[in-house]
Amino acid sequence: MTDEAPPVITATGLVKRFGGRPVVSGVDLVVPQGMIYGVLGPNGAGKTTTLRMLLGIIEPDSGERTLLGHRHPRDASDRVGYLPEERGLYPAMKAREAIAFMGALRGLPWKEGRARAQQLLENTGLGHAADEKIRKLSKGMAQLVQLLGSVVHQPDLLVLDEPFSGLDPVNQERLEALILGERDRGATVLFSTHVMAHAQRLCDRLAIIAGGRRRFEGTVAEARGTLPQQVHYVPHFPNDDLARHLPPDARRDGDGWRFELPHDGIEALLKRLIDAGYGISGLSIERPGLHEAFVRIVGQAALEQAA
Amino acid sequence: MSRPSGKLRRRLRQTLTIARRDFTATVFTPIFLLFLFAPVIMGSFGAIGGLGAASVSAGSAEKERLVAIAAPREADALVAADKQLRPIFPGEIAPPMLEVRPPSGDSSQQARAALNTPDVDVVAVMSGPLEAPCILFGPSARDARYLAAVSEQARRIAAAGPLAPSRPVFTRTARDKPTLGGRNAAAFAAVFGIFFLTLFLSGQVVGTMAEERNNKVIEVLAAAVPLESVFLGKLLGMFGVAVLFVGFWGLVASQIGMLLPAGADLAGMVPAVGFGTFALLFAGYFTTAYLLLGSVFLGIGAQASTMREIQMLSLPITILQVAMFGLASAAASNPGTTLATVAEIFPLSSPFAMAGRAANSAALWPHLAALAWQMLWVAIFITVGARLFRRGVLQSGSPAGAWKKLLGKAAKVSSNLPG
Repeated sequence: MTDEAPPVITATGLVKRFGGRPVVSGVDLVVPQGMIYGVLGPNGAGKTTTLRMLLGIIEPDSGERTLLGHRHPRDASDRVGYLPEERGLYPAMKAREAIAFMGALRGLPWKEGRARAQQLLENTGLGHAADEKIRKLSKGMAQLVQLLGSVVHQPDLLVLDEPFSGLDPVNQERLEALILGERDRGATVLFSTHVMAHAQRLCDRLAIIAGGRRRFEGTVAEARGTLPQQVHYVPHFPNDDLARHLPPDARRDGDGWRFELPHDGIEALLKRLIDAGYGISGLSIERPGLHEAFVRIVGQAALEQAA
Repeated sequence: MSRPSGKLRRRLRQTLTIARRDFTATVFTPIFLLFLFAPVIMGSFGAIGGLGAASVSAGSAEKERLVAIAAPREADALVAADKQLRPIFPGEIAPPMLEVRPPSGDSSQQARAALNTPDVDVVAVMSGPLEAPCILFGPSARDARYLAAVSEQARRIAAAGPLAPSRPVFTRTARDKPTLGGRNAAAFAAVFGIFFLTLFLSGQVVGTMAEERNNKVIEVLAAAVPLESVFLGKLLGMFGVAVLFVGFWGLVASQIGMLLPAGADLAGMVPAVGFGTFALLFAGYFTTAYLLLGSVFLGIGAQASTMREIQMLSLPITILQVAMFGLASAAASNPGTTLATVAEIFPLSSPFAMAGRAANSAALWPHLAALAWQMLWVAIFITVGARLFRRGVLQSGSPAGAWKKLLGKAAKVSSNLPG
């Protein structure tokens, strides 16, 4: 990845309404090349609609977007891999044929597609299922087959809509490895999810969408940085009066207390607690997780919408 | 514990509850209408086929003529004889109209030339003296025998006393050109042939998009390929199936044709453009008919998401096909009329009507124009179908809602691709 490389995706003010109801209300997005980029949001936030507009499956009511430098996303479709939220394969197709078929849709010759499909299936431990019909595969296996179909033509951009949904932990790990492998190959990966653990582990950058708008854009660390650090304090000599000496937001957490790091630092507070005889059995200052940041950002969006 | 009679009543009530649900679930659906009126549809098929055949037959009969080449002094007697004899053969067995022509030059050459009179089908020609007339005739000896009888009767009218029987000489001859009736029959056969093939084959396209919608493949396709290509690809795939079907049954039919009695006279049915060109045009018009109707059915069927909705579409599709067949067969029976021109221009009836025209008219350029015109409409139908699908299905827009309202359903917009 280089700083000069043009972004893989740009979107400016994307708007989409269904039957007069706004689903996406002005999303801006810039996805740099060679990154794993997460689009996070609660259910119904407009993630899927945004991805469909970016890929040209549906047209925005207003706003502009480019995909791999093309104003018309279709012009770049051979360089894109896509796993939709609603998985779909022809049940009567064999696994290898299904992967080759998806490659052929993106311009990969059938013969080459079959060879690559066999290799991909073997690499993911599904070599034995190459000649099995899709209808005979488990849901998770079929989902992996479809995922392999979206990367068989070695796309420059891989778009995955809720890719972890419906996968067991073993297959989730396989998928994470595959996503990381695609980035290492040089591809850009854009995926949507509402499961923060995957996003925190995988994303180089992310956008949080809620209520049809982008509410945050940055790295995972920057997202976590939107919340103040948390202090976890365990007194040596606890008693009922302790709460009087702690900040108003302090709440019990096991044997100790948890509260936001005061603006003027922790030193003054600690001195007061020691002077009051509570002592210190344990103390840690923690950065909140992506989960907490997500909940806070989405919660604020909900409040704005309600207002 | 309830009494036995109470138990029985309860069982009966439960049974009737089930029966009521099944009855209403079956009867209060549009599909039931299809079931209810199925005999009418089948009857209309028979009626339309019969009317078309009758129209061709009637048109052919009106154009048939008997020709007598006779001097003016014999002409009056022949006309009078015809008037006397004709009532003996009423209705459908009535002989063709008699036309008396004055002799000019070699009578045998004139008689042979008369057989090829343009605009009418001369089925028998009589020349020579009434005592020993020479009668040339085509496929039907009956018409020749009638001419002989007219000749004999004319002699009796003219003579005062008893006469020796005349000695007619009958000569069966092949025509140098096809008959108008034969061409009309060829035109109707072409129209019916294309109708028959597309009736069975193009309707299968209706449900093909439902497969992709049901197994959710449509979004994979829509992301990779323009919807117009998806539509055209599905249409061509099904057309390949149709060609295979036609090829198989065409081969079977050709083998059956070889079993037909030798000497079957098809000369009268030679299409105006010739058999070779006619076969090519038939194939071309079958292709465009399939693609035109298929693209319309594909576009409409793509809006349906369940097998039930697809079944409901069977009725309007059948009606559309039968209507196009009716229009084109009427055009085949009345070539050169305004009705025929309308049928040739209207996109959905154009392939049928133009196939009929190939049998009736030798001009080739209208066929090239028609094929281009029809392919233009295939492109239009595919584009419109894809746009409706994109708006109505991929985006839950208004067209799907309107469609469902049209079918009398709640204005619930269903989409396989929620936002």
